[in-house]
Amino acid sequence: MNDEYRRQAPEPLTPLPFNLSPAVKRTLSCGMNLVSVHDDRQPLVNFRLILGTGDIHDPEGGTGVASAVASLLNEGTENYASRELAEEVDRLGAALSASSASDHAVVKASALSGFASEVLDLLAELVLRPVFPENELELYKQNAIEGLKYQRSQPDFLADEQVGRVVFGDHPYSINSPTPDDIKSLTREALAEFHAGAYVPNNAVLVAVGAIAPDVLADELEERFRKWNAGELTEKQFPDPPARSERTLTIVDRPGSSQANIVLSNLAIDRRSPDYFPVLVMNQVLGAGASSRLFMNLREEKGYTYGAYSRIYARRFGGSFEATAEVRTAVTGDSLKEFFYELERIRTDAVPEDELRDAKNFLTGVFPIRVETQGGLIGQIAAQQVYGLPDDYLETYADNVRAVTAEEVRRVAEAYIHPDNIAMVVVGDAGDVLKQTSAYTDNVDVFDTEARRKDLDALLAAQDAPDADVAGVWQVDISAQGQDLSLKLELEQDGSDVTGSIDSMLGQGTLKDGTVSGAGLKGTLVTEMQGQEIELEISASVSGDSMEGLITIPLMGEPLPFKGSRVKTE
Amino acid sequence: MTTNFEIGDILLEQYSIENGLRVILNPDDSVPVVSVAVYYDVGSRNEWQGKSGFAHLFEHMMFQGSENVGKAEHFQFIMKAGGTMNGTTSSERTNYYETLPANQLPLALWLESDRMRSLAVTQENLDNQREAVKEEKRLRYDNQPYGQIFDILISMIYKNFANAHSTIGSMEDLDDATVEDVREFFRIYYAPNNAVLVISGSFGTETAKELVEKYFGSIPAQQLPPKIDVEEPSEVAETYREYHDPLAPLPAFLMGWKIPPRRTKEFHALYLAGKLLYDGDSSRLYQKLVKGEESVTQLFGFTDERRGPSSVMIGAIPKPDKDLDRIRRTIVEEIRELATNGPRPEELEKLRNQLINSEVRSRQSSLSRAQTIAEYALYDGDPGVINEEIHELLSITADDIRSAADKYLNTENRALLDVIPASAA
Repeated sequence: MNDEYRRQAPEPLTPLPFNLSPAVKRTLSCGMNLVSVHDDRQPLVNFRLILGTGDIHDPEGGTGVASAVASLLNEGTENYASRELAEEVDRLGAALSASSASDHAVVKASALSGFASEVLDLLAELVLRPVFPENELELYKQNAIEGLKYQRSQPDFLADEQVGRVVFGDHPYSINSPTPDDIKSLTREALAEFHAGAYVPNNAVLVAVGAIAPDVLADELEERFRKWNAGELTEKQFPDPPARSERTLTIVDRPGSSQANIVLSNLAIDRRSPDYFPVLVMNQVLGAGASSRLFMNLREEKGYTYGAYSRIYARRFGGSFEATAEVRTAVTGDSLKEFFYELERIRTDAVPEDELRDAKNFLTGVFPIRVETQGGLIGQIAAQQVYGLPDDYLETYADNVRAVTAEEVRRVAEAYIHPDNIAMVVVGDAGDVLKQTSAYTDNVDVFDTEARRKDLDALLAAQDAPDADVAGVWQVDISAQGQDLSLKLELEQDGSDVTGSIDSMLGQGTLKDGTVSGAGLKGTLVTEMQGQEIELEISASVSGDSMEGLITIPLMGEPLPFKGSRVKTE
Repeated sequence: MTTNFEIGDILLEQYSIENGLRVILNPDDSVPVVSVAVYYDVGSRNEWQGKSGFAHLFEHMMFQGSENVGKAEHFQFIMKAGGTMNGTTSSERTNYYETLPANQLPLALWLESDRMRSLAVTQENLDNQREAVKEEKRLRYDNQPYGQIFDILISMIYKNFANAHSTIGSMEDLDDATVEDVREFFRIYYAPNNAVLVISGSFGTETAKELVEKYFGSIPAQQLPPKIDVEEPSEVAETYREYHDPLAPLPAFLMGWKIPPRRTKEFHALYLAGKLLYDGDSSRLYQKLVKGEESVTQLFGFTDERRGPSSVMIGAIPKPDKDLDRIRRTIVEEIRELATNGPRPEELEKLRNQLINSEVRSRQSSLSRAQTIAEYALYDGDPGVINEEIHELLSITADDIRSAADKYLNTENRALLDVIPASAA
């Protein structure tokens, strides 16, 4: 028995209007702007003090300064040691933190509204009176350098680094992270100087959402910030990103990698572009979500990947488009084919009505869900301030999404996606990737995971090279989570077949299914650990008496890199 | 502890429809958003030997389509309406929920009711979801460093199978499951009279009631599921075990204590004792181990809250070459200190402010309200407890915390699991 009304999804009810409390704007006597929304549904307050200075404003030769300044604000002030700040914040049941992004820095504070005064005291203390203690800076440097080592093992990070470099060139949006040398050369003096120049009221806006009346809040802020002195702000000029005239491929070589991280990217819009809403809808149709075209094609239909997406990075002084997926190495070329198919399709064909409607429904639907909490709402208002969006931006958001037409979607896709001169970045085994990408460009650069350029001709030659001779005894060093593990590998070779045995501190084992093809060595090491048999996939590139590659422990996340050298020839 | 904050009551209307489905409405029109939560009174506690993992397997089955909703369409319907959704399984319950623009309430009720009345329990769905669960087990438990240690500790703390086995269950049991077993499980546990439906957010109560009747009214009630026994002796089942974790980069340990059921005064006192010991940068153990001794990279602890006997767990991943025994001694000494002298006045102030803050914060989101209300309705038979438990917690005294810590934590009656990494073999 099936009731008729159950057969189809029901029609929605009448949409309810979304009435946000109006934001009140004013300027305090020190010159800082205040934007506040009086929201007394719950006895909570949320504050964000935003500085219009971010990582792109790092001083000449001081990459990483802006970020270090923000990170160290709560590690010691004139009146509180780091630990005292932590204890005071916890005693209030409050939260307080600071961070820096490319366009701006932000200090966030939230608490029960009964503690608004106390938490504003702490917020002012962080912004006005940080001291950047020498010992805390040292600890910060150590942790940041350790963190970078981990980052360099992550393919996402390696891809971002190259995408930034290729797409943004000398523009500071190209920098995805300071280098260890940048971090080592940070000094207390440089931090204090940056703080003195950037943390000034004429560069600041305080956004508040919470159960506090705007007048009361303004008085509280006057009390704490009245003596904050304005500074001189210099408009920084940024170099133009490079103009592109052809498609390029940049490979970050991870020999033996079974995965390839693909990113296709070109310049697109800044955050205030009049095309922002059509681009938002276009991106939703193309790849923003798990019902968008890229996901449905590359994952659902083809099964090349767990997820394929596109993104729009619209920032203050520019921005970019990216399409990305992490795929099995063997389908790198096939994946590129589907990417280009989808990029061309959305530029050429009008989006069907139902697909357009679904994309718009999603965008207008999640919007109120995202601003349900004070924390969500303040994020939206803060973005409005950072990017200088119109006052009625939130109120008109849904209408602006709904107004986008199929023709606009096609037009902005054509205007902002450039398949013919897009930058392709692939993190993966360069040899395997190169075999599959020749149809897409012959402008190719290869780097290693330390961002050093590699010799492309040598790589190409290695592909046509006769099978390497691998016989002998190899000393292999695996670097695992900062620890080194070494093992001895004894190999025998018969044509392209390889057999052998391993000997390590963990136990002994054998090599099965070993093969050599050109410079590539592949096989499975079968060994015993804790009485359990485990299989380690090994994949390496051999050059003379040395090899480098990756060893994969089944399903254990990232493969571990290793290097080997021949200690004895058979 | 006293409070000078007025915490307003959450507005609730509770009723049952004829088939026994309990419905709780929590209208709040501050944002045009609605959340729907359906909680079934079935978790791993309802499983018996030979049938472990069924509750969780079933959570997967619930996304495989029903009479009018195709396989995996549930997700697409919600996405296209601009919503979010999920489902989870614990020892206590299996839940399903979605948050949508307020005018999409009918969609959520249609989707939830269709799978409650007509889930597609087929051999094909069973086979592929069984494989999906195995894959999930491999990814989330077997092949993650430290991925299995919580399940192992649970099995050491409890003696009763209903409490001691994991939610993910045994793969042999799942392999043995027949489509008839699964149909029977669905019939017994996924009945309207074994579920709670909560609607929270912006909606008219009359409209909501009509929609609930329209979509859920004709689903037949079933006989109530068999009673279960989760009683435990006070001793822990096993006090020490070593576990060799081939994926762990560093040694670690986990300690566990058996404590009284949720919402008892002693449970509340121990929950607060735990917060003082391990919660946040100003907690006692963080300041002693992560800061002071600098012997630990990661410190963690939590209370496992159950309707029956519950537990407290504290664990640490020490820095390389640190003496684990010494770290454990510090933990035991800190517990003894708390059990002897009780919390300091400033700690009580911190607890009070953190409790009120998190209570108020969690009320902002319709989904969080719907979930909390559903739990109280299911566990306590009274959703109104959402307005009471915060006051129960705030009335716990320093001496309540001291004496509960003394009785339940300051004791040798605890489980200790040592995790030994492969590199130490």
